[in-house]
Amino acid sequence: MSPDAGAAVQAGAVRAEHIWKRFRPDRQRRRVADRLQVARRFLAGHRRPWTWALRDVGFGLEPGESLGLVGTNGSGKSTLLKILTRVMYPHSGRVRVGGRVGALIEVAAGIHPELTGRENTYLYGTLLGLTRADVTRRFDDIVAFAELERAVDRQVKYYSSGMKMRLGFAVAAYLEPDVLLVDEVLSVGDASFQQRCLDRMREVLAAGTTLIYVSHDLPTVEATCQQGLWLHQGVLQAHGPVREVLDRYRRAVEERIEGTGDHDGPVRLAAVECTGPDGGYVQSNEPVRFTLHLEAQAAASATLHLGICETPGHPILLLRRDLRLPAGATKLECTVESLPLPRGTYSVWMSVSGHQEFHGAGRRARATDLLRWGPVTGLVVAGPELEPAPVGVVRAAPVLARAHWDQQ
Amino acid sequence: MTTLADRAPALRGPDDPPAEPPRHLRYRRHLHLWSAMRELAGARHIIRTLAERWILVRYKQAVLGIAWVVITPLLYMVAFSLLFQRVAKVDTGGVPYNLFVYVALLPWMLFSSSVGSGTTSLLANIPLLNKVYCPREVFPISFVLAAGVDFAISTAVLGVLFAIYRFPPAATSYWVPVLLAVHLTFTVGVTLILSSLVVYLRDLRQMIPMLLQIGIFATPVAWKYSQLSEAGQVAYAAANPLAPVIDGMRRAVLYGQSPRGAALAVGAAAAAVWLLVGYVIFKRLETGIADVA
Repeated sequence: MSPDAGAAVQAGAVRAEHIWKRFRPDRQRRRVADRLQVARRFLAGHRRPWTWALRDVGFGLEPGESLGLVGTNGSGKSTLLKILTRVMYPHSGRVRVGGRVGALIEVAAGIHPELTGRENTYLYGTLLGLTRADVTRRFDDIVAFAELERAVDRQVKYYSSGMKMRLGFAVAAYLEPDVLLVDEVLSVGDASFQQRCLDRMREVLAAGTTLIYVSHDLPTVEATCQQGLWLHQGVLQAHGPVREVLDRYRRAVEERIEGTGDHDGPVRLAAVECTGPDGGYVQSNEPVRFTLHLEAQAAASATLHLGICETPGHPILLLRRDLRLPAGATKLECTVESLPLPRGTYSVWMSVSGHQEFHGAGRRARATDLLRWGPVTGLVVAGPELEPAPVGVVRAAPVLARAHWDQQ
Repeated sequence: MTTLADRAPALRGPDDPPAEPPRHLRYRRHLHLWSAMRELAGARHIIRTLAERWILVRYKQAVLGIAWVVITPLLYMVAFSLLFQRVAKVDTGGVPYNLFVYVALLPWMLFSSSVGSGTTSLLANIPLLNKVYCPREVFPISFVLAAGVDFAISTAVLGVLFAIYRFPPAATSYWVPVLLAVHLTFTVGVTLILSSLVVYLRDLRQMIPMLLQIGIFATPVAWKYSQLSEAGQVAYAAANPLAPVIDGMRRAVLYGQSPRGAALAVGAAAAAVWLLVGYVIFKRLETGIADVA
């Protein structure tokens, strides 16, 4: 059916080889004079330079495989998805996608505001290449999943953005495409709906659909996809098992944040050290000691937060200490009696916020950044793998970790 | 089968990838007229669904709703009657002037509403275009189809006019399908060209309604085609295939004559060229639509 049908691949297979895509950067101003200038330059043969959105990106998926696509904003993830749906054509390279492609790329895209939810469902189904009977057969499931029983005959323009997103996801995920592309859209839904979307994505995967999932929510990517692909400024940085790719991506993000952090604040971290039992390496369920060497420009009463993060910036273990910092160097030790973390690679983040003095009665003290929240060091925890097959593991349950502090 | 680890490339250096893609990798979209048309045929039901949708949507919040399909040509007819019958005194050869105008207005309205709405068909559906793949020409074509439904409804009004004036349509009305075929060939061709061009050159969107307003005077709606010389009629048909069609409608439906053969043949040939060229232009411009939309 496609113009490239000559090189057909099996339904559900994805082949992308050496994909390049370029755009002209946005115009800034749109006044008549600017237009004329553009036209004059155009006639003189000077065109605005191209910028490359994708440079030599390639990967392949077999039917039923799943790929998590990660990268910072503007790294070309959405462009790549558009090329895979054949909505956009690459500048160079070859794309072959077998079978029907269902895409949830923009919230409410493909959803016509003047039509009702029902009409939209049929319209989208038709565009995916389904017959009316096909859509009818799945219609009740779609409505039930999107929880739109009472709104399905209402015009979509009266839907809330969450309702639009639910309908969009339900339609894309229930019309049984061979390849399902999901862009970062689930953030619109509430937590329980997000969970059901992820469950549905896994169901669809189990049923043999190929999944490509774009998200900044790295834990869900890790939980949903077997493979990971990391794009940075249009260049493929890593492709392989999802864990490895995400680890590399996280490390890169942390390094970049570290690089931009200010080191000349009122409080400076001179050195940091994490040691396990007897000064050895850090292990699960064993004591760990963090030694911090701080240098303050002036004496301050402050609160120190020390966090261990798996995803950049979001601590899974947070320690807090109110303290009085004298001017000059301070050595601070924090000992956690038993580290309640499984084996893995983490990063240690930290911040120091100061309390401003009261200015008269009724005014609240305002916290100021003495040392901004940022990564300070990596942390490798040794221990048994936390995935014994027949046992379920709660990965994020509140656990109290007893810690004591020592200031010198 | 390769394993996952085999597929993982190493971190890439500053010269990998190069600044520009090598030439031999350049993506070329292989467009064959025949396979493109087969694909379009496979998308029939999409065209139908989309046309239904335009019809539903268009009048959804208007108070008078679908009645606008009939009201617009009637208002035109009244305006023309007042202007031309009283002022210009066109000799209609015994046919009531309202019928004389309305029979020509119907095909003109079909053209102007097809082109007018079809031109914006791609622009208006950018969210859809950015999401699902389908042959893009289904959008303008479905707009033309929706305009065709309007045409059918306003043709029913023509029946009422025939009854009011006690003036039955002539037996030669069997020519109408042929005339409509020429009409649609031309209309689809023009719509394809304009709808794809307007995505790149948005200025066109402002110009087209104005051009359509002028266009009504370039077609023999208010005037008689026989005001041109025989050679002039043929030459004009090449430039404006609608002229012999509209003239043919009048001759066949009102005067019991067959359409002017030479002019209609030239018009049909010109219309076919419009369609072919329009389709090729559309398919070529289609490739970049998502980049600029």
